[in-house]
Amino acid sequence: MSGVTLGNVIKRYGDVQVIHGVDLDIDDGEFCVFVGPSGCGKSTLLRMVAGLEETTSGKIQIGPRDVTRVDPAERGVAMVFQTYALYPHMTVEQNMGFGLKMTGHPAAEIRQKTAEASRILKLDDYLERKPAALSGGQRQRVAIGRAIVRGPEVFLFDEPLSNLDAELRVEMRVEISRLHKEIGATMIYVTHDQVEAMTLADKIVVLRLGRIEQVGAPLDLYRDPDNRFVAGFIGSPAMNFVGGRVENGAVHVPAFGGPVRPEVALPADGTAVTLGIRPEHAVIDRSGDGFTVELTEALGGVSYTYLTAGTGEKLIVEERGDERSTMGDTVGLRMEPHRLYLFDKDTEARIR
Amino acid sequence: MSAGGKKQLSQTQAAWLLLTPFLLTYALFLVYPFLRGFWISLHDWNLLAVAFNPDAKEYVGLRNYERVMWGRNIAWGLFAAPLWQGTGLVGLVLSVALVLAGRLSRFNAIALGVISALLVLLPGFHPGEEGRWYDRRFWPTVGNTLVFVGLAVPGVTLSALVLAAAMNRETRAMGILRTLFFLSQVLSVTVVTLIWQIMFSPRQGLIANITETFGGTPINWLTDEQFAMAAIVIATIWWSLGIAMILFLAGLQDISKDIYEAAALDNAKGVKAFWYVTLPNLQRTITLVVVLQIILHFQVFGQSHLMTQGGPNDTTQVLVRYIYQTGFRDSELGRASAMAVFLFLIMGCFSIIQFIVGREK
Repeated sequence: MSGVTLGNVIKRYGDVQVIHGVDLDIDDGEFCVFVGPSGCGKSTLLRMVAGLEETTSGKIQIGPRDVTRVDPAERGVAMVFQTYALYPHMTVEQNMGFGLKMTGHPAAEIRQKTAEASRILKLDDYLERKPAALSGGQRQRVAIGRAIVRGPEVFLFDEPLSNLDAELRVEMRVEISRLHKEIGATMIYVTHDQVEAMTLADKIVVLRLGRIEQVGAPLDLYRDPDNRFVAGFIGSPAMNFVGGRVENGAVHVPAFGGPVRPEVALPADGTAVTLGIRPEHAVIDRSGDGFTVELTEALGGVSYTYLTAGTGEKLIVEERGDERSTMGDTVGLRMEPHRLYLFDKDTEARIR
Repeated sequence: MSAGGKKQLSQTQAAWLLLTPFLLTYALFLVYPFLRGFWISLHDWNLLAVAFNPDAKEYVGLRNYERVMWGRNIAWGLFAAPLWQGTGLVGLVLSVALVLAGRLSRFNAIALGVISALLVLLPGFHPGEEGRWYDRRFWPTVGNTLVFVGLAVPGVTLSALVLAAAMNRETRAMGILRTLFFLSQVLSVTVVTLIWQIMFSPRQGLIANITETFGGTPINWLTDEQFAMAAIVIATIWWSLGIAMILFLAGLQDISKDIYEAAALDNAKGVKAFWYVTLPNLQRTITLVVVLQIILHFQVFGQSHLMTQGGPNDTTQVLVRYIYQTGFRDSELGRASAMAVFLFLIMGCFSIIQFIVGREK
């Protein structure tokens, strides 16, 4: 078992640079999730670790070995693809054993290892079937089984649950988490779904436009984002942002109709800032005013109320309990100062 | 249509209406000539005589078939043609063994078994004592046609497969190369044979020049009994490579890129990936190409007629050319039609195989 280290990794396609010098340490046995919007380079970075994309410059280490220019098969990694990428002409058993067969392992050993993997993944009844005769969930299990059989040092998952329906996705998420505990190998997992990221990860890497925005444990990213992007990306529904300006030791927020005093070291007067407040940290004040209720979504336990401020800025507030706002109501908002986040409007950096 | 209370066609009626032009053409130009050909094959029918006097034909039943395919005192022996019959026996044993070992699907086993049985059975017929074939040239001609098909089909399939695999990349150079390789396909047989007659010429041909450069003696390709068939096969491969290559390229592009990436991680790259991933996924395309080529090349005529005139010593005489000569040079239209029906049966068998394989999942 080994960790993975990326040192100033850069990827360029011709003149277009897509990964801009990524530095990252993933510990042995850690579950690391790359998350970010489409086009942020998370899949590219994973494929560079796998060796399916050439690294333009920089260094990739798996354990103590420099694998930057090593053949994919020799890196000690196994990958689970979004499309499963099973060999359509092989049975489940042959699919799982193919890697070992190619490296010349004896048939008895291959059989024993596929049997072990199929036991872990409950695939025993399907060993003789071909992928076309399996459901999406079963196919993904086979793809994971194929990775397990190879006994890699590092598992790579490229959006493995994206093609499954919601129910199966939850089921497989739990299963992958269980698998990680059982095998204990290093895993790198790419997703754009932050629920997957929050629930699975020991460490989340938030990427945007080929750069790392922040690395940290899921709750640390939630509680203590470094910048507006991470604050907006982690948490669901996303954090609300409204514009403001520092005046006389307070933040004047037009949407709120007055000054607020977040518990941070305020920058100089006149600085343009963005104020962030999570939907779960704002409370609707039915006797107040300043906001119009546009829409409410009742999900049972919670409901989300969509508000528009007088400035036209939109906010979402989470409400619990039976009392709900109705469309067209005029309401006010209350929030605790220590729940407010402040960001520089231009650099988007967090003001702490 | 329905608004004005006009009569509306039902879906079935509309379908028939739209199909009628095709069905009429099909019946007029394919079904009728075929039936007419079969009818002619049952007559002693001299082309010129019947042309001048429509009554100058005589119903002879299956006599034409007998005259073409049978002989006097024909005997059957297991050792009449040891090579062919031996191969057939091996095939029979193999099909049974593979079925018992579970390595062959039922359909493939039956196909192999039937072909092997025919190999044992058919070459076993030979003229016994004092016997002879009524038509000495027919079976050797069938044999030549089989040899031609047996060489041209694997030749085209293999070279098209290799070319397609090499050119399965989206670059401009590959696009140009694909067009170049496909270009030969659009030439007519006259042009193709002309090009290759020059290529094979022992005096001025490119091949002869190359042979001489390396100090060899140029081969008389088209007049040497050993090389004439090979020359025709080579020209044919060059000519009919394009379509097979395009079909293979389409098949290759159906294989998802992910699978090759998974294979690369599984230590299968290059030749290994081709063998374990590409070939199994191309199986249906390969079957399609092989059967199409078989049907196409059984009808070979132009190459043999224009390059070697069936010679030297009948070694490149093929079935369609023989039918043509019997019918239009010797005016024996009845016998020619009987041969044509025989050719139709062979190609019909392969069409049925293609149909069955196409349906199998």
